[in-house]
Parts: sequence; structure tokens; C-alpha cells
Amino acid sequence: MSDLLNKTYTQTDTQPNNPKRQMLIKDLPAVPEITLLTKSGGIADDVSSEPMIKTLDDLKRNLQIAIELEHSTIPPYLCALYSIKEGTNAVASTIIRSVVVEEMLHMVLAANILNAIGGEPVINKKDFIPEYPGYLPGSDKAFIVGLEKFSEDSVNVFLKIEKPAPPLPKHEKNETGNLLFADPGYQTIGQFYMAIMLGIEYVNKHTKGGIFTNDPERKKRQLTQEHYYGSGGMIVPVYSIENAREAIQEIVGQGEGIDDTIEDSDKKLFGQTTEYAHYFRFNEILQKRMYAPTDTPKSGPTGEPIIVDWGEVHNMKTNPKLDDYRHQPDLLAKARAFNMAYTQLLDQIHMACNGAPEQLMKGMGLMYKLKYLAIELMNIPIKGSGMMAGPTFEFEKPVAE
Amino acid sequence: MKTPTDHITLFTEISVWLTGFNEAELLATGMLDTYYQALQANSSQDDFSYFFKAVEIILHQNRNDIASTEKAIASMLMPVSAYNGIAGSIITMWYTGNWGNTVISGQAYIQGLVWDAAQTHPPGAKQPGFGSWNMPPL
Amino acid sequence: MESIQYDVVIVGSGISGAVIAKTLTLAGKRVLILEAGLEAGIALEGEAAYNAYQNYLETFYKAPAKAPNSPYPDLKDAPSIDVLDIVKLQPGKTSTKGYLVQKGPLPFASDCVRGPGGTTLHWLGTTLRMLPNDFKMKSVYGQSIDWPISYDDLKPYYQMAELEIGVSGDVHDQNYPGITPDFFGQQYVFPMKKIPQSYLDAVISKKTNKLKVNLHGKTYQLSCISTPQGRNSVPDTDYPYSKIVWNNREKKLKIEHADPYSNLPSLWDPYTGERCEGNASCVPICPVQAKYNALKTLKKADQKNLNILTKAVVSKVIIDDKTQQVTGIAYKRYTNPGEPEHTTGLATAHVYVLAASAIENAKILLASDAANSSDQVGRNLMGHLVMLTWGLSKEKVYPYRGPGSTTNIPTFRDGDFRSEHAAWISPIDNWGWSWPVFSPGSDVSTAIANGLFGKALRTHINEVVTRQVLLHFEVEQTPDPDNRVTIDPEYVDPLGNYKPVINYNVGDYMLKAFEAAKIVSDQIFAANDLEDHTVYNPVTDPDYVVYKGQGYTFRGAGHIVGTHRMGFTKQDSVVNKEQRCWDHSNLFLAGCGNMPTLGTSNPTLTMTALAFSAAENILKQLEH
Repeated sequence: MSDLLNKTYTQTDTQPNNPKRQMLIKDLPAVPEITLLTKSGGIADDVSSEPMIKTLDDLKRNLQIAIELEHSTIPPYLCALYSIKEGTNAVASTIIRSVVVEEMLHMVLAANILNAIGGEPVINKKDFIPEYPGYLPGSDKAFIVGLEKFSEDSVNVFLKIEKPAPPLPKHEKNETGNLLFADPGYQTIGQFYMAIMLGIEYVNKHTKGGIFTNDPERKKRQLTQEHYYGSGGMIVPVYSIENAREAIQEIVGQGEGIDDTIEDSDKKLFGQTTEYAHYFRFNEILQKRMYAPTDTPKSGPTGEPIIVDWGEVHNMKTNPKLDDYRHQPDLLAKARAFNMAYTQLLDQIHMACNGAPEQLMKGMGLMYKLKYLAIELMNIPIKGSGMMAGPTFEFEKPVAE
Repeated sequence: MKTPTDHITLFTEISVWLTGFNEAELLATGMLDTYYQALQANSSQDDFSYFFKAVEIILHQNRNDIASTEKAIASMLMPVSAYNGIAGSIITMWYTGNWGNTVISGQAYIQGLVWDAAQTHPPGAKQPGFGSWNMPPL
Repeated sequence: MESIQYDVVIVGSGISGAVIAKTLTLAGKRVLILEAGLEAGIALEGEAAYNAYQNYLETFYKAPAKAPNSPYPDLKDAPSIDVLDIVKLQPGKTSTKGYLVQKGPLPFASDCVRGPGGTTLHWLGTTLRMLPNDFKMKSVYGQSIDWPISYDDLKPYYQMAELEIGVSGDVHDQNYPGITPDFFGQQYVFPMKKIPQSYLDAVISKKTNKLKVNLHGKTYQLSCISTPQGRNSVPDTDYPYSKIVWNNREKKLKIEHADPYSNLPSLWDPYTGERCEGNASCVPICPVQAKYNALKTLKKADQKNLNILTKAVVSKVIIDDKTQQVTGIAYKRYTNPGEPEHTTGLATAHVYVLAASAIENAKILLASDAANSSDQVGRNLMGHLVMLTWGLSKEKVYPYRGPGSTTNIPTFRDGDFRSEHAAWISPIDNWGWSWPVFSPGSDVSTAIANGLFGKALRTHINEVVTRQVLLHFEVEQTPDPDNRVTIDPEYVDPLGNYKPVINYNVGDYMLKAFEAAKIVSDQIFAANDLEDHTVYNPVTDPDYVVYKGQGYTFRGAGHIVGTHRMGFTKQDSVVNKEQRCWDHSNLFLAGCGNMPTLGTSNPTLTMTALAFSAAENILKQLEH
């Protein structure tokens, strides 16, 4: 086991590559694999301590799931964000936006890792988009995620997304690597990435020459800072195991990796210049108060009050579907325009992650367009319902002209 | 006597005819109420009510006939002399966010439809992202 | 405040003042900036910076005329020069409509922002270096005067300026007439890769690049090249520099290789403004601050060595009669910018710098009876004269997108013709006809007046606005001692400070260039099959001029230059090549006022290079 994981997760409260950012996993999760770690930090070689993910194919499959998982949170966050009326709830908007851009970054980072080990991210397929309302991909089905306006309810769901479940129960020895959240598998995103990291370490060690490609053509598949901007943190191109560790740290450090002790911790983790994890950021909205530098997770936020006005929100129908708009052809056309742009965006990201990184720039243009279209939809009443329309995030290829 | 709800429905309908944008596109701006109120605030009571009477008659008499509705609008609403140019003012509001030379609000400027008509965005808002100008509009 | 002993007092927090303040404070000097504008605008980070800027943006949205100054407060006690105040002058009549008292015969047509960050808040962001021959107009072309420094002297400071501003550009594209391969240096790259050129540029360049045009019996081949700009794009990993430091041992400023270059995002958020996002509103305001402004430089100053006193309007430089040293700078501090009530103060230090804009600097010096043994203070006021031509393209070009201009035609920036007429640069504009005829609002009102409505209107707007093409011909103006800033006790502002009185005209050397540029423009229009809609209106255009029976209209470029020029001798200039006043050894002047001539480059980059050079000279003097 790498020193780096040990150090990161056990000794410091911040990320080594970004001292402003909290590192919230302070201990490795209580997974059986912990026995893999020898005192000296190496991976034990005996068969009984094989990790759950132990083949290259398992690894690729799980990284594809990671991409899907990161993506699946974005539409719900965007619906809440865009439902906030212009010029209101400024702090809440900033918080949600900051989380969304980090989820986008994570998606790209997961794709970089997958590309680095010879995989091919698949992003432009119908089933890439989860069904809303529904469970997070492969989750333990503890809660349902949907497309909702900004409300106490929706922010509560966001807390659930970002908050870990209780410690991992023991799991059976014969579980396969693609088992993710399914009981008795992993229950937190952080644990999931930990399993991926352990898998990477293991498979890399047991593969002659390692699993990271040296092919210059394949290296060109990496997305770099050149292709990406305006978002939470540094994009890490992955060419080596060190880069993979760094990329996973970046993901985990931004908040998915928080462990179950957060609410009870007495550590002072906050402060104006600290970028703290998603869970706490959403909690600030719910508590209508910022964390003060003297606060601990246990104390909750006691800092400056935040103005949160749940009324200054477009009254978007929860989990809208195209079918809701069938009696309003102009509205339907607009909602389909959104879906086509969204599908096109997935296409662009797919191309960007499959050898044409420069396509990401076009994709970013589409992200802006999606925002404007979503807000437009939320201004249009669904006749007879007393509610407003909203983006449906359904897969739709434009019909060839 | 028309209730405000009837007037705002008529306002929406005639706005569609005047602007060339469909109802969803107009509603999408979120400006309907603001513009209706601006119209009310900036027109004399007589112009306002006679204008809506005329609108009601035009829309009723030419129901579903595009050519005759357009003809009626051209002759009865568009001349500057008609109701002190209310029809032109309505178009100006939707297209530019202005009443005369006054910007109705910051949002009104941002929601101006002239930018959509020209396949672009209002300068300083709804930015399309890095490098987007290098290609034809999306 | 009085208890602190400052090394240097700087008047103005625009780009010159900011660059000098940053350089000096990082070298350990204590600096006071006197800023005439409001306190809110000086916020350099977090919510305060965000809120101040959002206020500007909201003001811009609500402004009926989106003029360059429209987002920024115009203060009665510290008025800004505003293009909306420019009116056509009747012969012999004076206009007092705005801050400038315009005596004519032509109105001076450039504006600036008087407030924290200065005019970089609304500059377009074009960052072209001046050409070698621009520095020696007299010796090469027998026109105007030479600079006391050469292009090569300024070259290292240009590099500093490009780092400070954060220039995006492609060095390989930068082929200008009359330069040698060492103009930039073999390995040189800009800090960031070029800003993508517009779709419109590509359409127009197709038939314009390599187009042969005839002018006065000579053939020129045009080229269309990308324009370097002070706005964020993709950092170039080959760019080696990241900071500028004072080397006390060598008594020099050095541009250094340290960390990898990273660009400057918005003041309030590191993830906003990392790239230009295409707001298409650089002038008047970049909503994401991807475009450089001087506040970004101030933010990098050593804050513990820097104090900024806002609402402090400088009225006078105090000179000791015997020593001719400056002993202090007198200012008036208003409490409410709309009321005349104020307190007075005196700021003292070892060295003083006026960096308050070319017109304001000249005005303060005249009011102080300072630095003027040459009688050159306030004279040689110049700007770029912008002749516009506009037409409709057959093909849709989709303007109103992207930065104001991303491509230019450099062909007439230098050449033998400069013995006869002025040089010019031709930016291709991305914003349709908004400047000359206020499109697309005017297209809507004209269409409504013609009875258009409904789908026909929508189609009409689409057909017209997406085809609008605008070309600039930015003509160099040469120095003329009669184009000048003066003061007159008859004209004062509410604080009792003088308002600048302007005499201004344009000579034949420039008029000939309008004629020549129009000949070239007509050939570009013909080659691109553009339907010409250019109109120069003798009745309504304030700066309408006639040459050989033909009328032309020029507009101001927002470049205010030349009012306290540097020179070889005490007799013909206000400052020496170190930018120190000949008359007062502890008074430096900064800004475009120092420039003896201006060439065809938007002057901000040159002004910034000069500011670094001035900062170095100030440090040398302080360390002496």
C-alpha cells in the first residue's frame, strides 16, 4: 500500500497538493481490505488478502461506473441551481455551483484514469443517463434522487448524496469487483474510490510493466488544464500511478470521501480560505449559516447568517417528463431542444474522452446553452398544473435533416 | 369590463403576433408580467383600453386565419397614430427591454429578444463560453 | 495616515499607478496611492470585490446608452470624461456639456474612467507593441519627433508588460511591416495562447488576406493576423516567466523564471475568468474579469506596504521655490461625491508620481505651475482617430459574439507613405454596427417604423444583423503644440478644481490618411462583395472633416496621449527618458502623457512598459 494513501488519509487534514482543501477521510474505512495493509505500508502478497477489484477488466468496469456515478448527481444539482430566481439566494447558488463544477471535474478525472489504463469511457449511450427519480447508479437504494427545484427537501437529498452511510459491513469473500453499493458492498462514494485505488495498486503491481499505458497515441487521450476551465480545481492528466493517486485524492478530497465520523468530529476544519467538503457546504444552506473558523463538525455552523429564501424559486414540477408537455407543442419543442443539446453535450464529452480532447471546448459551450435553456423552461407554466416546466434530462438524438 | 387576467391573456396573444416569437419563447423570458405592467404604467387609460378592445376584435374576427389577422394588425395596430403607437412599443419592449429610451430593468435588457433573433446573446450576459465565437452559433 | 512615512506617493490607481505601486511595495518601499474615486471600487477580493463589480454590471444593464463609462460612477466631485458629452461644436463656440471644456474647432472624442482601476475597467484589451520606426518618426520620415529611447530600449519592459497584463497571442502570426526577426526574439512566446479568432474574421480573411490593393500608384498585399490581447486564454506551457523582481545588487528590474505561469482570474473567485467566456462586452465591462484590469495588479502588491486613500482628489503639487523639489501633494477629500463639502490634506514622501491620466496629469501640473519650463505641459494632445466603414455581407457572419476584435490588418502600420500621410491599423470588428449606428436597437426601431412586425420582423432582424461587418481604420495622430489642455479660472468643478479646457484639431497629415484608408476600404469591400452602408453625416457627426471635397467622420479610440512628453532636452519636453520631470528631480510622471508619438498601437501596453521602466528608475533613485 502506498505511503501516500496512508499519509493522506491518516495524518493530515488537508490535501498535500492543495493545502486549502480539507481532507476529510482521516482513517481508512473499515473495509476488510484494511488487512491488506502491512505495517510497512506495502501490500501483503498472500492470496487471502486480495482486494475486491483485482483484474484489469474489473478496474475498467468500476471506473466506468465511477464516471456514471459522478454524472448522475449533476442533473439534480443543476435543477436546484437553475430554479433559483435571478438575483436571489446568492450564497446558495454559489455553493451549489461550486459543487456541480467539482462533480464535472471528477467525471473527467475518472475518465482520465480509465484512459490511462487502456479503457474507453462510454458516455454517449441512452442508459448513461439515470432514470429520475431513481437511485444513484449501483447504490444501496437507501434514498431516491430526483430532479427537483431548490427546496429544503432537495437540499436534504443532496446532504444524503454527499453524506456517508454507516461503516461498511463485512462482505462475503466471493464478491466480484463490479459490486459497488449493493448490499453488502460499499455504501459510500469514498469507500468506492478507495476500493478503486486499492485495485489500481494491486493490479498495477501484479501486471508486468504496470497497467499505465506508454503509448504516445493513447497518452493524447488525456484531458488537461488546456481543455478545461472555470471549475473546481486542477485537472490531473494521468500517465502513471502517481497521477492516478493524485486524481483520486482530488476527487475524494473534495468531499465524497467524508467518513461517518463527520458529525461527531471535534476538529476545527473551517475557515474563510478553506474549501471544505460538499456535505458541509450543503449543510450551510440548510442551516442558513456559514461555518466559522472556530466551528467543528459537531458544533455545526455558527458563523455569518446566510439569506436563504425558499420562496424565490421557480416552481418547477418535480421530475418532469416530456409527456407532461404534450399539450403544449412550443414548450415541448423547447424541452426537446434542451434534451438534444444535453445529448449532444454527452457526445462531445464522449469524443473528448476518446481521443479528441479539443472537443471539450465545444462541450463547454453547450453547458452554457443548457443553462439558459433550463432557465427558460422554468419560466414556462405547465398549463393547468400550477407548476412550471423544467429540463427533463432525457436522451434524444437530433433527427437527421 | 375586462379583468386584468383577460387583458394579460390578450397581451400574451397579441405579443406573439407582434414579435414573431411563440408563446413559450415569450414566457421563457420571464418578463410577461413586467412588460404588461410597463405597458399599463406608460399608456393613457384610454389608449390602453381601446387598444385591447381592438386586439380582442382582431383576434376574434380573424380566428385561425394568419393572413387576415396580419392584415388587420398592419392596418389597425401598427400605424404610429394608432393608440399612440402601443403596438410598436410592445415590440420594442420584447425586443430590447426598453420603453422608449428607458431600460425597464436589468433583466429586461438581458432578456431582449433581438439577440435571439440575431442568433447571439446580449453583450455582458448569457455568455456562450470560451472560443464559441470561433464557430457559427450553436 | 499622517504618521506613516511614505517613500512614494502615487496619484491614481490605473494601470501605471498600479504597476509602479506593485513594483515598489514588493521591493519593500512604502507607498500611498491617492485615488479620486469611491472606496467601494478598490475592493480587491472576496465578497466586497464581487459586490462592487456586480454594481457596475447592474448599472451597465440599466444604462440606456451602453457607452464605455456607463457602468462606472460619474462623480460630481471627480468627474470623468464621457463620450456621451461630445457634441458638434459651432464655429467659435465652446461646449461645457461635460467635464471637458471643448473649445474646438473639433471636439476631442476620447474618454477615460476616473476611479479605482482606471480606464483598464473599460479598455478593449488590445496589446500591440509599437514598431521600431514609431520611435524615430523624425529621423526616418521627417515627421513629428523622435523618442529619446528606442524600441530596443523598451523591449525588456514590453516583456514585463506582457507578463503583468497576461497577454494571449500567437507570436508567429505577428508579422508587421518594417520589423526584423528579433522584434520579439527567436524563442519568445506570449504567456497564453491566442484568443480564438472569430468566425466573422475567418469569413472576411478568406478574401482579404493576401488581397492586393492599390494606393497612390503602389500595390500593397494585405494580411489578416490574430491580435494579441490582455484577456485570459489557455496558458502556454512554453512561456517561461512568472514574476518581475527588483534586483537591488544590479539595480535593475528582472523578469524571472519561477513557478509555471498561471493567469489571473477574477478578483473574487479563482474559477471565474480563467478564460474569456465570450460576453462580447469587453468595452464597457467584462463580467467575469477574464480581461485584465489594473486592480489585479494592485492585488499582487505587498499590501502591508501599500495604503490607498480613496475619495482623495488631487488639486496641486506643492513645490519648494528654492530647491524646486516637490514637498507634498495637496488633495481634497469629499465625503459625499455629489456635494462640495470636503476636507483638505497634504501627502508627503520622498518621491512623487502623477499617474492620473494624460489630461488630468497636465491639468494638475498647470494648476501647480509645475514642470513647465519648456511650456510643453498640456500640449501635443493626441489620440487615435477611428474612421469606420460598415457594410452588409452576402454570407451570414454572425457578429456580436466574442471579444471586440480578434483580427487586424497591419499592412499600413508602417511604410514610406508615412512621409506623406499617417499610418493606420485596421482591426476587424466583431460587434456589428453597434458603434456607428447603435445596432441592433436601431435596426429594430427602423423596422417597426417601416411597419414590420411578427415573423417578418424576426426574419428581417436575423437577415440584417447577422450580416453586419464593421472595419476600423485607426489613424495615428501626430503631435501638434496647439492641440492642448489648458486651465481657466472660469471653469472649475464643485470642489474648486480646474476642469480641463481643450483646444483640438486634426491636420492634413491625418486627413490624407483618411482619404488613403477609404481607398483601401473600398477595395476590401469590393473584394468581399460587401454592400456599403457607410454614412458620414456632416450635420450630426461631431468629428466630421472634409478633405479634397470628400467628407470623413472619425471617432475617439479612448486613447489620450502626449500632454507631458518625454524628450532629449529640457527645452522641448516635460520629462526626460527616465520619466522624471526635468524641473523637479523627485517628481515622476507616468502614463500615456509621456509618449512623444503614438504609432498605431493601442497605447496601454506601451504605457505599462513605460511604467515598469519608471518604477525601476524610482527604485534606483530611492536606493541611491
